Amino acid sequence: MDKNKPIEPDAPEKWEVQLRKGSLELAILAALWDGRLYGLEILRHLETASELIVTEGTIYPLLNRLKALGLVTSEWVESTSGHPRKYYELTPAGRQRALEMTQIWTKFSTSMSDLLAPLQKENQ
Amino acid sequence: MTLSPDSTKTMDAYLTTLRKRLRQLNESEVNEIVQEIHSHILDKASQQGVPTRATIDAAITALGTPEELAGSYVTNAVLQRAQATPSPLLILRALFRWAGLSVAGFVTFIVSVTGYCVGASLLLCAVLKPFFPQKVGLWFNTDSTDPDSFRLHLGFTPTAGVGHEYLGGWIIPIGLVLGAIFLFLTYRFGQWSIRKFWRPQVRYAD
Repeated sequence: MDKNKPIEPDAPEKWEVQLRKGSLELAILAALWDGRLYGLEILRHLETASELIVTEGTIYPLLNRLKALGLVTSEWVESTSGHPRKYYELTPAGRQRALEMTQIWTKFSTSMSDLLAPLQKENQ
Repeated sequence: MTLSPDSTKTMDAYLTTLRKRLRQLNESEVNEIVQEIHSHILDKASQQGVPTRATIDAAITALGTPEELAGSYVTNAVLQRAQATPSPLLILRALFRWAGLSVAGFVTFIVSVTGYCVGASLLLCAVLKPFFPQKVGLWFNTDSTDPDSFRLHLGFTPTAGVGHEYLGGWIIPIGLVLGAIFLFLTYRFGQWSIRKFWRPQVRYAD
């Protein structure tokens, strides 16, 4: 193999997927910040508020994991539609985690914005 | 809300397959998962009114296959359990599952298998030495056709007495202690690696 051959840079879409992947956990915790929601509501929230469109099946194993980590709790609630729904709610540890992640996110995005300011001007 | 049996046919089949594929988990967990997915399909299918066969089928398609969905749950559960289990066998099983998903999983699996093999070999040598004193040990052999080459050989050697044996009876305490240390460190390495590097798989809609 030619060692001097430049490595192909990732396509921007691929990079975007990685970026979204890393922020999904925070997005779910943030969606639950104002109160309990069930799976489909969380999905809708992610779609409208953050454009984080995951395969629908993905969200449930992930919620299950957040529950196992003690970041959310769940409760079955009877609904008017005739079947019960499983609602998720942040635990104190989940709220703490969301706040810590937000702090890191804000710090990082502020410094990135400063760095990207000249490029943003170019894009306009 | 009552649904015709025809409109729920696909959903019933989906949930049956899902349940079958989740059988590694305990029953209450499986029931809860199946009930939640059932609830999701009905909610999603009734977004525009009464659910029909077409809206139910669309909701199922958006979920991904039951095999994929069950696979995510089982992988999560197996790797989660592995972080707390005292059983090296359970850890190896979890690592085997993880090995197919990421480079970190593959490397951890290979290192762990090697570590367990070395540890088990040392223990086996220590245990078998009293029964086969002439055959089991750490051997230093030189090849008669190539005087510069040599090899270290741990375990049974077919050419007993040809090479030089290191350690002698000391292989018993050294094998026991080193073997136990190897097994323990490999076990802890597996747990540490899962905790540090494993993240659940997330699939994105196209």
